[in-house]
Amino acid sequence: MTSKFKYFLGATTAVMIGLSAVAGHADAATLRMAWAQDATGLDPHKQTAFSSLRLLELIYEPLVRLDADLKIVPGIATSWEFSADGKQLTFKLDPKAKFQNGAAVTSADVKASFERILDEATGAANRANYLSIESIETPDAGTVVFKLKQPDAPILTAMTDTNSSIVPASEIAAGTIGTKAVGSGPFKLEKWDPNSKAALVANKDWAGGATGVDGIEISVLPDETAILAAMRTGQVDFALLNDPLIATLVPNEPKLQLNRAPLLAYHVLQLNPARKPMNELAVRQAISCAVDRKAVLDTASLGEGQVTGPITAPFFASDPNSLFCYKQDVEKAKKLMADAGFADGFSATVIAATGEPPTAAAEAQVLQSQLAEIGVKLDIKMMELNVYVDTWLKGDFDMAVALNGGRPDPYTMYNRYWTKNGNLQKVSNFADDTLDKLLQDGRAETDPEKRKAIFAEFDKQLAEKAPWIWLYTGYGYIAQQKNVQGFVPMPTGSLVSLGKVTIQQ
Amino acid sequence: MSYVIRRLRAFPLVLIGVSIIVFIAIRLVPGDSITAMLGTEAGLLTPQQRDSLAVYFGIDQPWPVQYWRWFTGLFSGDLGISVTYGKPVLTVILERFPLTLELALLAMLIALSIGVPAGVFAATRNERPADLGVRVAAMIGQSTPSFVVGLVIIYILSAGFGVLPTMGAFTPIWQDPLQNLGQMILPAITLGCAFASSVTRVTRSAMLDVLSDDYVRTARSKGTPERQVIWRHALPNALVPVVTLSGIEFGYLLGGAVIVEQIYALPGLGRMVLEAILQRDYALVQGAVLFIALNFMIVNLLVDLAYAALDPRIRLEGR
Amino acid sequence: MRILRAIFSHPSGRIGGAIVLVYLLVALAGAVGLTPHDPLMQYRIDRLQAPTSSYWMGTDLFGRDVMSRLMKGVGQSFTVAFFSVALATLAGTVLGLTAAWYGGRWDTLLMRFMDVLLAFPAILLALLIVTIIGPGTWTSVAAISIVYTPIFTRVVRGPALSLKARDFVDAARTFGSSRTYILTRHLLLNLVAPLTVQVTLALAWALLTEAGLSFLGLGTQPPASSLGLMLSDARNLMEQAPWLLAFPAVAIMLSILGFNLLGDALRDILDPKTRRA
Repeated sequence: MTSKFKYFLGATTAVMIGLSAVAGHADAATLRMAWAQDATGLDPHKQTAFSSLRLLELIYEPLVRLDADLKIVPGIATSWEFSADGKQLTFKLDPKAKFQNGAAVTSADVKASFERILDEATGAANRANYLSIESIETPDAGTVVFKLKQPDAPILTAMTDTNSSIVPASEIAAGTIGTKAVGSGPFKLEKWDPNSKAALVANKDWAGGATGVDGIEISVLPDETAILAAMRTGQVDFALLNDPLIATLVPNEPKLQLNRAPLLAYHVLQLNPARKPMNELAVRQAISCAVDRKAVLDTASLGEGQVTGPITAPFFASDPNSLFCYKQDVEKAKKLMADAGFADGFSATVIAATGEPPTAAAEAQVLQSQLAEIGVKLDIKMMELNVYVDTWLKGDFDMAVALNGGRPDPYTMYNRYWTKNGNLQKVSNFADDTLDKLLQDGRAETDPEKRKAIFAEFDKQLAEKAPWIWLYTGYGYIAQQKNVQGFVPMPTGSLVSLGKVTIQQ
Repeated sequence: MSYVIRRLRAFPLVLIGVSIIVFIAIRLVPGDSITAMLGTEAGLLTPQQRDSLAVYFGIDQPWPVQYWRWFTGLFSGDLGISVTYGKPVLTVILERFPLTLELALLAMLIALSIGVPAGVFAATRNERPADLGVRVAAMIGQSTPSFVVGLVIIYILSAGFGVLPTMGAFTPIWQDPLQNLGQMILPAITLGCAFASSVTRVTRSAMLDVLSDDYVRTARSKGTPERQVIWRHALPNALVPVVTLSGIEFGYLLGGAVIVEQIYALPGLGRMVLEAILQRDYALVQGAVLFIALNFMIVNLLVDLAYAALDPRIRLEGR
Repeated sequence: MRILRAIFSHPSGRIGGAIVLVYLLVALAGAVGLTPHDPLMQYRIDRLQAPTSSYWMGTDLFGRDVMSRLMKGVGQSFTVAFFSVALATLAGTVLGLTAAWYGGRWDTLLMRFMDVLLAFPAILLALLIVTIIGPGTWTSVAAISIVYTPIFTRVVRGPALSLKARDFVDAARTFGSSRTYILTRHLLLNLVAPLTVQVTLALAWALLTEAGLSFLGLGTQPPASSLGLMLSDARNLMEQAPWLLAFPAVAIMLSILGFNLLGDALRDILDPKTRRA
């Protein structure tokens, strides 16, 4: 081996010479960014992949946005107002807002965008959140009025989503959404070479003012080890990291800084209550009691995250310690198993996706060893992501390790699984009157404090009925060179503050 | 000549076989372009939305119809549209191919420039310590998986020295040859390592055979200087198996080096096909595999021809 | 016996044979449970420990003993390699022999099909097969054997064709020996030499391919271990825990080295003519 190492080292010096000749080439005001997973498409209404949203939110803007505390703040709209009966929502648009093709953003564009989202043929990801819209009126170019069939508080939060971005009516008519990116955001997409690189240039006409950098150059480095390596050598200024094992190495580097943002997405062990013996409440509760959530977090993610209950948005979330069996209790678990007639345990298969999230295989293995203590024998089946998604959507599993996306509003986040006509009822396989009613109440109520109480009850009920075993929320990691300034990490993982980031020389 | 024609005639048949297998195989994989694009959110689609997306991705028709549509397109040079790239498949492939070609050429260059001299050196010192040293090194080189070599290189460079070639934003050679070389050299070394080892071994054993041939002995007995005997008389004949080996190896490399491209984040053919499989980009997988198979067959034909040209004893008809 | 002595007197045969033997013993010890610790036991308080006197090769992310997992992993990797090569050899021999014996259409058809398989990029073919059936030990076996079957078919068909044309087969035929008898007795006997060499070398490739598939997450499934999977798991931890990378890497290298050396020796012993190739 040693002789071979020397040989490599010899080759290295040659590369180093080559490097020093190249090192100074970077344009001072271009932010060089890297991520492991590239965007998968450009249609802001259809794309749901995390990286697609991160790219598209720099190009497109929604009516309203969330700030770092998940409070709603102006986007394209400068102000908004619910009518007294909660059935009418009026927006005033920013007169300075302009699309990157030079046209002003008008109420007609807003109307066309929402009609596109509502059109079933579009396949828009956010459509289900807007079913209460009865009509959209445009009294003048700067005003939009949404008339609702029923009071719908979460609709405003849904509108902060990149999937509800405003696109030009002209581009919708031309059918070029998804092939050409024309938004009103801080950056214009100059070039996109999927799975390789993307180039963004500053939008000089951005209503939010001048951007701090002239452009962003995004590289796709599929291996996060390589991203870290590239940051160490100063080739990359800014990077998104998923893997806590890699991210925790960043603070060791004097020139680098790691930003952690607690995320809304939750790591969960999904049980399938339609299958025996998970149809027994006692069995599900036994599993919940047998799992040491903190140990899963400590091992799979090196402790990078927080144990969580079902609701993850900070404003609505309850203290995990107040929830059912959040402290591991093997004795209680064994007793519950015995009560249900499974004193000897049972065997089940748990599915997990390879590399998505990177911690999936590790979580499955820790859970496997924990559940073995109460006689539950887990067989781990790793699947390629798409095969996993296909199986997951069919509800064809005993148990599944998953990382499911979170939303700032609990109703938007969970109506798909826990209301009786939720779109993903097939995946959750669990219909429950109490849960259904609590969600419907939370939707209609517009007073924030009352909503909080409703969802606290929902949180408690869900943890106790244990259709799934919620484990923990992780962090979104953004590694940056210390000379990159002004970035604000967001719980949604959003990168919108890149519009104001600057690079100090 | 008739041999070449006979081989070429078999091309379309093999290619059709390849295309049918890949066409069916990629469709047998669970999940489709829709779940690949939307992920778990695909569950929120209504049947109508699903149908309209199926039409958009061209996966609404029965398989034989899809295949026929794709197959007839081939004759007008139309390999379909890649749904991930939104560009014609051929364009996408041709964008990636130069890198793969360059990487294969560089790896071969490294392999030959190290392997041939090392092999000759070892052969001239048959069974002496220097020979053993070369053989052991070659044996180890051949036994180390390329991803181990790659990981070790990256680990040593980044953790030990804090340097690395520019990754990600790849520069084509015609834009900036120096920077391009900086990016390609380590992957080429990684691939060239095992390659050079096999070249060394083959060169050595071929040289040993040739050196014991009569004509070499004759040359020696005539008092020709040893240097000249080796480099002028023996080596050209010993190169026949080296050419064959390099050709076959090169043919494989043209198919893209998936793992090395993945480790070094190079946008080459191998990684593209892997991504296309994961994204269920059917047209791109089909087109790329067909392209790779065609390359492989052409390179193999050329290798056989070169073999015949270098070694008159071989008659191709019999093979 | 004669062949064993020959291997033993051949220098690379001696080393290669010794390496393979050691690996087999290690795999056997792993299989019967003679590991220092339970390879699946998660000693949570001892997570990510560098090699110590109780964990000779350190512990992994879960606090499992790396050495025990390595011993199990060797067995796993070897199982996949042996079974896939055995399947490929069997299929290749049958196909190659029938192609050579019957000739004509069958031969053309079969060899065209093998051309098709050969024209596929090998790792991608294996990858497609694994994604279709779903990863696992036996899927890897199937995938690797399908990839190598055409090679064995060619290896068998070539010599079989030339043997078929040689006098002793003709003689046997005139004496009225049955077809099967000729096929098995004469042809197979004469094919043993090139096949043995090919099998040994194929074992080395199969180990490499198994490692590659596991490295991409498509081979052996957790919590079982294989050399490639251990490497893949070590990748993102290589700075905190280099021992996780080092031991499996060396283990993979040495195992392949062993088979390569053994294959070289066998080639020299059994088949001196093909030395040039």
